[in-house]
Amino acid sequence: MSLTNSTLLRTGTQYSLRNYRYIFSSQDFYFILKITFTFVLGSLIGQVLLGLAIALLVHRGIRRGIIGAEFTRATVLSSWIIPSMAIGLIWKILLTDFDYGILNYIIDSIFGSKIPFLWSPKYAMLSVIIANVWCGTAFSMLILFSGLQRIPDDFYEAAIVDGASSFQQFRYITIPHLSTFIFIDLALATIYTFNSFGLIMTLTAGGPGLHTEVLALHVYTTIFENLHLGRGSALAIVLLIINLVIAIIHYRFFGKDDMVAQ
Amino acid sequence: MNSSKRKLFLADVFTVLSYLLIILLFGGPLLWLLSLSFRTTQQIFVYPPSLIPKPFSWEAYIDIFRGREILLFLKNSTKLSLISSFGTLVVTVPAAYALSRFHFKRKGALMITLLLFQMISPLIIVIPMYRYFNKLGIINSHLGIVMVYIAMLIPFITWILKGFFDSVPMSLEEAAMIDGCSRLRLLFKVILPIVSSGLFSAFVFSFLLSWSQFIIPMILVDSNKLLPISVGIYLFEAGRTTMSTHVVCAATLLAIVPPIVVFVVLQKYVVQVMTGGAVKG
Repeated sequence: MSLTNSTLLRTGTQYSLRNYRYIFSSQDFYFILKITFTFVLGSLIGQVLLGLAIALLVHRGIRRGIIGAEFTRATVLSSWIIPSMAIGLIWKILLTDFDYGILNYIIDSIFGSKIPFLWSPKYAMLSVIIANVWCGTAFSMLILFSGLQRIPDDFYEAAIVDGASSFQQFRYITIPHLSTFIFIDLALATIYTFNSFGLIMTLTAGGPGLHTEVLALHVYTTIFENLHLGRGSALAIVLLIINLVIAIIHYRFFGKDDMVAQ
Repeated sequence: MNSSKRKLFLADVFTVLSYLLIILLFGGPLLWLLSLSFRTTQQIFVYPPSLIPKPFSWEAYIDIFRGREILLFLKNSTKLSLISSFGTLVVTVPAAYALSRFHFKRKGALMITLLLFQMISPLIIVIPMYRYFNKLGIINSHLGIVMVYIAMLIPFITWILKGFFDSVPMSLEEAAMIDGCSRLRLLFKVILPIVSSGLFSAFVFSFLLSWSQFIIPMILVDSNKLLPISVGIYLFEAGRTTMSTHVVCAATLLAIVPPIVVFVVLQKYVVQVMTGGAVKG
């Protein structure tokens, strides 16, 4: 349908060149790129590792009938359902150094001073990553969890008979089987994170200054606050191209597997 | 034998403790939000912050409901999500079935293209779409939004549905066809009932995804009357000061309660989306 409209830019040939030239020659642009990559990388590492840990724990719990396994899974997943703007709002309230910021309260009691999560250049990126990991972990966890479900028990049983320790089991059975899912997870999560900006918009609005302004957010502000339709569209195209590059890289990595695995 | 049983037990204990930690981490923020939402304006700034507000007050909620807008927003969200989910299924079921059963050239390429569309962020599309829709005269209408939602959902849902269809053995179809059943009847009478739980999963998933959409409705709709709640709370926040944090909390909670309820009740189906085919665990 209208998905192919991405080429309908308000840029006549002359116009567009000017915009692109502007973008590529501006210092800000490269700073924003750096911010974007930091954000995506940090979030990915956080959410994949955490998602894996939780998936393993929940999977084990379900297999062995431990109480609380499903409830845990449900709780984690609820964080994903929340619309990104709401997540930004929620974390803004949690991380604020106003009196009702509970996190700072805890930190204050332990360390004796508060951390200006939201308006210090050093910590702002951290806050944004934390919030993103909080809601992204559920997504990764879901994918990795379904991957874990698919590993037949026979493998483990055979390994135990052969006297393998649990660590060895993990390394030689779990990881190889999961590798497809890890790739799928990385691919989808990268794209998703790259394009997400609702969270950042409500949490820090790209600030302080430009320190949490990711590319996606920048497209938005360029168009709606600076009202530069042409430039914004050019930026959007850059974003799109980056997306495509990432998609291609991931596709190269695991070829057709991702179609078959599901 | 004793030591390995002990190891198992310790591992179990560790697992349960981790669960507690995880629940705290992921449920905690929401609990705090809940706590904040039941306060009076002064109570927000109480220091040290306490979990249970001493003067327990419904003030925030009363304030929200007085305006009546919130009900409208909720109604809009529900309407949009339901229609989009249903519409998506109508379109994707035949497509997924075809992809699953028929063999035609370029099938692989087609599927990849589908996936590619999945990767295009709504943000990039939305501006050209605005102008496009404006010309078509469907700006500021739910129809426009629904169309976009459906378009957005099609790639992913088709992919999932195909997975479900794949898990139905061909032999079943062949048997039915030998008995003289036409392809279409086959689809409806035989296959759909089998994958019905999968269909429902796809429906629930579409619903949840539509509910949390923000950019699309915000750009495509100008009039406040048509906004879904995800945009609604944003406007709420923008027009307020710190003094009304508890109202923002309350509003946010109201916005996220429906999808959470849907999700918790239908959790099995959402998980099934990923595990495809049979429900495990």
